[in-house]
Amino acid sequence: MLNGLDIEGTSPLHRMPVRGKLIVLFVAAIVLFLTSDLRFLVPALVLAATIYLSTGIGLREAARRTRFVLFTVLLVAAANYVFHSLHEALAVFSRLSTLVLLAAAVTATTGISTFMDEITRLLTPLERFGFVRAADVSLAVGLVIRFVPEIFARYQDIADAHRARGLPVRPLSTLTPLIILTLKDADTIAMAIDARGFRRH
Amino acid sequence: MDIVFSAATVNYAGRTALQPLDLRLTEQRIGVVGLNGSGKTTMARLINGLVKPTTGTVTVGGLDTVADEVAARGKTGFIFQNPQHQMILPILSEDIAFGLKNRGFGKVEIAEKTEAVLARFGISHLARRRVHELSGGETQLGAIASVLVTGPELLILDEPTNQLDLKNRTLIARTIAGLPEQVLVITHDLALIEGFDRVLVFHDGRLTADSAPAEAIRTYREIAAC
Repeated sequence: MLNGLDIEGTSPLHRMPVRGKLIVLFVAAIVLFLTSDLRFLVPALVLAATIYLSTGIGLREAARRTRFVLFTVLLVAAANYVFHSLHEALAVFSRLSTLVLLAAAVTATTGISTFMDEITRLLTPLERFGFVRAADVSLAVGLVIRFVPEIFARYQDIADAHRARGLPVRPLSTLTPLIILTLKDADTIAMAIDARGFRRH
Repeated sequence: MDIVFSAATVNYAGRTALQPLDLRLTEQRIGVVGLNGSGKTTMARLINGLVKPTTGTVTVGGLDTVADEVAARGKTGFIFQNPQHQMILPILSEDIAFGLKNRGFGKVEIAEKTEAVLARFGISHLARRRVHELSGGETQLGAIASVLVTGPELLILDEPTNQLDLKNRTLIARTIAGLPEQVLVITHDLALIEGFDRVLVFHDGRLTADSAPAEAIRTYREIAAC
């Protein structure tokens, strides 16, 4: 959900330390999966929506940012309705939507560099065991967030090029050049990371 | 700052990208021209250690780009052909700050330096803009700011006016002309290097001319006409 779209503001969530926000999100994810009681899940969804809107994001922008994920949640809920029951579908929808909205609220109130700093701090103890390099993980997260819009834009360019040549836009013919060009870019980006001295080992 | 190539060569998969090069560069404004695939980008990438010499050595300010890689790289900034690729964080000011953070600067100093470099290039109003939404000229200025904020002595720009409109080309040319740092520019934009101190012409991986701009540009035109 993070895509460099934090909004400036002074809401309680903006003032809350990023670690606190991540812990609340983590705990919420566990608690929401411990119950299927709609008397708990539906109010939780309403509360999550209220928290998200309390960031000052505005209804239209809030909807724009979450609609794709919420649509996916809706599909999952529909599958649960078909294969299980209406109750299960509502529970799944409420549970996942609550998490989506809480995550979106964290996104809207946390700068990407702050988020990366926190990842680095949280993972630093693991460096002692040789599992990870904390700075590399946070850099990887930053790169994903940074370049997702680029990849979408490139896909759009490839699709437009197909249309301009009167060709149908098919997954195979668009994804193949997209993957090749993205990998080519990845080489340049890796070189740029070295050039700017971001990885010092 | 002295940049010294001593019998430096580069081979890629059995192909010679750069023939033995002996060269000492001390000038403030250095231009590099040549046809595509002539070796000019390879030569520039040797300077900050992005490419390692197959044989020979390259030193920057007395530091070997292989043995003293990190320190030598700290002396040079590099702007790629597509500067979008080197902006790692989504917001311009965060990208600039990230370079400083990696060099261990404190929060206050990072904020001050970021603000100062944005003001230096007249792009303070772009501080909170998403980098993928910047125009070509804004991206170039942002990339230059994000590299120079860490204080390199030499700035290398690879085709900085490529794909820019006339207005942005003029803006970038003026910006480059006003930089106090030593500058090495790889370009096909011959007007950009007319006032430079020294221009190198590469052809087929070999340095074929090394002179003042007018003479070097004439040589380049002759090569291009063949």
